[in-house]
Amino acid sequence: MREILRVDMSTLTISREPLPEKWARYGGRALTSAIVFTEVPADADPMGPDNKLVIAPGLLGGTSAPNGGRLSIGAKSPLTGGLKESNSGGTAAHALGKMGIAAIIIEGVPADKTVAYALRLFPDGNVDLVPRHDLKGLGTYETVAVAKGIEAAEQRYSEKVSFIVNGPAGEMGMKSAGIAITDPHGYPNRFAGRGGLGAVMGTKGIKLIAIFEEGLKGKEHADKDAFIAAVRKFSGALTTHAVTGQALPTFGTNVLANIINEAGGYPTRNFSSGQFEGVDGISGETMREITLERGGDVKHGCHAGCVIQCSRYYVDKDGHYITKGPEYESAWSLGADCGISDMDTVAALDRKCGDIGIDTIEAGVMIGVYMASGKIAFGDGAAAMAVLDEIGHGTDLGKIFGDGAEATGLHFGVANIPVVKHQALPAYDPRPIQGIGVTYATSTQGADHTAGYTITSNVLAVGGTVDPLKPEGQAALSQGLQIATAMLDSLGLCIFVAFAVLDMPEAFEAIHEMAAAHTGQDWDADALMQLGKETLTYERLFNEHAGFTNADDRLPKFFLEEPLAPHDVVFTVTDEELDSVHSFVPEVAAQLGIK
Amino acid sequence: MQVDVVLFAHFSGFQPDGKGGRHARTYELEEGTTIADVIEMIGLPDEPRVIFVNNRHAPEERELRQGDRLAIFPPVAGG
Repeated sequence: MREILRVDMSTLTISREPLPEKWARYGGRALTSAIVFTEVPADADPMGPDNKLVIAPGLLGGTSAPNGGRLSIGAKSPLTGGLKESNSGGTAAHALGKMGIAAIIIEGVPADKTVAYALRLFPDGNVDLVPRHDLKGLGTYETVAVAKGIEAAEQRYSEKVSFIVNGPAGEMGMKSAGIAITDPHGYPNRFAGRGGLGAVMGTKGIKLIAIFEEGLKGKEHADKDAFIAAVRKFSGALTTHAVTGQALPTFGTNVLANIINEAGGYPTRNFSSGQFEGVDGISGETMREITLERGGDVKHGCHAGCVIQCSRYYVDKDGHYITKGPEYESAWSLGADCGISDMDTVAALDRKCGDIGIDTIEAGVMIGVYMASGKIAFGDGAAAMAVLDEIGHGTDLGKIFGDGAEATGLHFGVANIPVVKHQALPAYDPRPIQGIGVTYATSTQGADHTAGYTITSNVLAVGGTVDPLKPEGQAALSQGLQIATAMLDSLGLCIFVAFAVLDMPEAFEAIHEMAAAHTGQDWDADALMQLGKETLTYERLFNEHAGFTNADDRLPKFFLEEPLAPHDVVFTVTDEELDSVHSFVPEVAAQLGIK
Repeated sequence: MQVDVVLFAHFSGFQPDGKGGRHARTYELEEGTTIADVIEMIGLPDEPRVIFVNNRHAPEERELRQGDRLAIFPPVAGG
């Protein structure tokens, strides 16, 4: 029987309640979105007492489901103003799952805004809130180091602990602040980055959540034998598929740089071109070569049970850890979008973002926008680092930068600000890759690539092919992927399983077999799609109540008017097609009994 | 005719000069040579590929033309 842990920061009290029966099939994003829809007024101030921060492992969290340990964090976003789900790897989801926790709901705001609290969960079921003055204002890495020291002194610390950490940017209420989660080695380098949820965590006065997991066992299954069989099937599919079994473990996500650049959709210097002459310097292949030369780690998973192992650690010339990845998005945003082609520079910027606790996509696009203003030059890595330093110091200028690409672009009078619903575009230009443009425009999450990753068919020939340069077929492609992604996010599965699922029917079968065998509930293909649709319906309706209209489901005008080299194309999917993507919402809302 | 050929990820090792790397090499080819012909010439393994000619997807039956840029990737993806 899964439980909700409710933490009221206004009264500093903690309580438990059973997960409501109506949400028995929900975990991860389905649960965070359903809770935010139900408990947060759509017109709430995201930085005020009525917003809630909801943290949930997926339905498969706490089990041995391959790649099943993703964590969802939800709230009303201070950046987009809509319902946000921010997703991360790391070890916290499985730990919470093993504790039988369906979700942690953090509500209210502390009367004394100067105190930084740690919320601690123990394997015997005890939970407490303790003031931690020593952690206030520290970078994420130092926070983890100091917290471990405190816990060790109190003899509560053991190696098996997950930390969920807010950086200084979140404590200062900046809209690009995310939330860090520790990886299996204890580095706070996994990130629930998008949408400013670190700022929400900051309003709650919580600097750190510590989850002590020593002695916790995996969750029990309704049908253990069936579960194990499904796990084997799923694992086999993931290791067999060329992307999940070879490309990702070998080169990491940044293997994409060259192919997106080749396709002419690699946004360069604030989305002014689709190809970057310096791409090789920041590509996944180069990153691997450098790391191997320097003796770094080139393959690991971000949580137990990951069989894809796309992560890696970047090291400096002396072999010391700098950061994980950098991921494709981060190498692009801090690299090509800023005209920077040096991997060491990009890695240092990535580490800085991680330490301050800000979303690398938002940060890189913000710096690119600032460069477009002419105040600093494209390609100037030192100037880019100075921008991040301003944020870390919380200067007046830093607060503008820390609020992201749009805030920065408006302040400095930049014409081309690449955002949708106020959130910065990720690493694919929508003009030569129109499917991703549909996702950017229509997703409830703002400009988000993972929400409906059409790159699969548009560029990578995974799950079929849809010509990226034409508007035909893009809306349907995006819609299908948005629904499927919401489903994966709710199960707690890493979305990279989609590469195998799109090509191998047995992978998809294995997913509903795992869900059914673990929960004892009925799960087939239709039920999985229904889960995705229900999740999106909560989000869409919340956004409507918060004042969003179809006008918010559009790309910035320059994507429709300024052709992008090398293909000299603009985005041409029609408004009518964009407005068709959420056509399922009224019917599903009626089924759920919500408006 | 001259065609630039670029190979990425673990395909780069198949460049005929054996030097690896992702920079383009200029191949001298007979008129009418197809992408499939080049793949056979290089000896790429029989596994899925993603192929671009002049930055657009191209099928393996395509005949190459003077000045074309041919880029071949193994299955890759990321985030």
